[in-house]
Amino acid sequence: MTNDVEYTPFELMAVAGARELKDGEIVAVGLGLPVVATFLAKRTHAPNLTMMFELGVIDPEPIHPAVGLADPRVWYRAKILSSFVDMLGTVLHGGRVDVGFLGGLETDAHGNVNTTLLGDPKGKFRHFIGSGGANDIASSSRRTILIIRHEARKLNEAVAFITSPGYVTGGDSREKSGLAGTPSRVITDKAIFGFDPESKRMMLLSIHPGTTLEDVLANMGFTPIVPDNVPVTEPPTAEQVRLIREEIDPNGMYAG
Amino acid sequence: MNKVVTLSEAVTTIPSGSHVAVSGFAITRCTMAFASEVIRQGIKNLTVSQCVGAMDADLLVGGGAVERLLYGGGSLDRFGRLSCVNRGIEDGTLIAEEHSSLSMAFRYMAGALGLPFIPIRSLRGSDILKRLQQVAPSATAYVKDPFTGDEWLALRPLKPDVAVVQVQVADPEGNAWIIGPRWDNEEQVKASQRTIVIAERIVPTEMIRREPERTVIPGFRVSHVVHLPFSAHPTSVYRAYDYDADHIRLYAEAAKTPDGMRAYLDKYVYGVKDHWEYLEKVGGMKHLDSLTADAILGY
Repeated sequence: MTNDVEYTPFELMAVAGARELKDGEIVAVGLGLPVVATFLAKRTHAPNLTMMFELGVIDPEPIHPAVGLADPRVWYRAKILSSFVDMLGTVLHGGRVDVGFLGGLETDAHGNVNTTLLGDPKGKFRHFIGSGGANDIASSSRRTILIIRHEARKLNEAVAFITSPGYVTGGDSREKSGLAGTPSRVITDKAIFGFDPESKRMMLLSIHPGTTLEDVLANMGFTPIVPDNVPVTEPPTAEQVRLIREEIDPNGMYAG
Repeated sequence: MNKVVTLSEAVTTIPSGSHVAVSGFAITRCTMAFASEVIRQGIKNLTVSQCVGAMDADLLVGGGAVERLLYGGGSLDRFGRLSCVNRGIEDGTLIAEEHSSLSMAFRYMAGALGLPFIPIRSLRGSDILKRLQQVAPSATAYVKDPFTGDEWLALRPLKPDVAVVQVQVADPEGNAWIIGPRWDNEEQVKASQRTIVIAERIVPTEMIRREPERTVIPGFRVSHVVHLPFSAHPTSVYRAYDYDADHIRLYAEAAKTPDGMRAYLDKYVYGVKDHWEYLEKVGGMKHLDSLTADAILGY
């Protein structure tokens, strides 16, 4: 099949995220690109997927642009409105979340995520949002998917502050910490990464169309494992792009 | 029993140094009028807690009322950072016990259930835990599962002196309905020694009795009821009114610097004698009416 579909890096990341979700799964999401990816999966191959927001919202159908999870626009037409203890407690901590979808300021070679501070934690630093439910989602989801921009300052050997643990220091350190589940994918605007089964170090899985291996590596603060043959990421289909632009995110409310 | 008092009377019952759990979540159902009154009354050294840091905690910190903040991280959503909270953490003037959303919720729940501790999977392997162990050495410990022998992280229960909760509907006794998601509010109330309910609307107890399944806060936990429309402004109250985007933007900009924050406090907190004057200052009835929620959308 020839593919001359035009798409943005945002749309490619959303499509790559959607592809990771299976029908019938329960997905914990924060606002932004993960929401688009999850809606896209629900509209295409995963109609029976359940989407939950930490504050107590399941399967909403928003029709207006929202500024965040605290905006009632993202609660519109939900199937349930409840609480943290219900969502993050009985669903997530109870072991029912298949996929946790995270974003971050910074990630590292072992998939740890920082949303807390930039700078020197013991000296001068700038403090940001912190965890919210992100640490909980990273600790208890069966698998987690991280979506992050591909920039050297965001992809470091070790994050300045572990807000949400990935494979911690690699090897069996995550298991030993008593955490459930595993980091599964890191999706950037240049590539998709998984993790080496032994060392738990980030491993390149595919490179997005139009991007080179050199470009991927030059914009990282560490060197991931690079297998001999790295395929090209499957591009979005015309229908996927149409769904995002016309039905899921017509106002660009989740973009950026 | 009629527990309805003015906001000023309710706030007077809170001594400096108390632990106050507040109901806000980022920019929704925040205890804004309450925070302003606390600042006006000069109450200091509070411990403030909530699952997700919100605009009410940021105003309380900016107004110099807070010594210690227990929270799970937070922001003003897309309007920006919690600048006063973040500045306090960066310059060391605020003691922050930073958690995750669920670890805060579990600590309230353990307090509500009267449990000695609660095990949790969250926080382990993170720097949140390392920092918490430094700032609050008695907040966490490790326990052995008596059935499997596995090691678990245990959290100490929270039992705030008072929970202050914005609700849509309450009766004079304090039986209250929270409409929409409740985030941590139910556990906050049930963990606290007592609760102050701030309601958009007061209804007769007969209304509560007709739909008791909607009651989230039982009156016996409530010490005071305050009837105060638009008391969460500029944050939203689901099915009552939307957030005031222009005013949140104005706050977010002002809060970026200590001088800006002082000017904001002078104008909107110290510059008004009470909530009614505040409402006039932010635009009055005509402006507030434009924020009223659509009956179907809820915002």
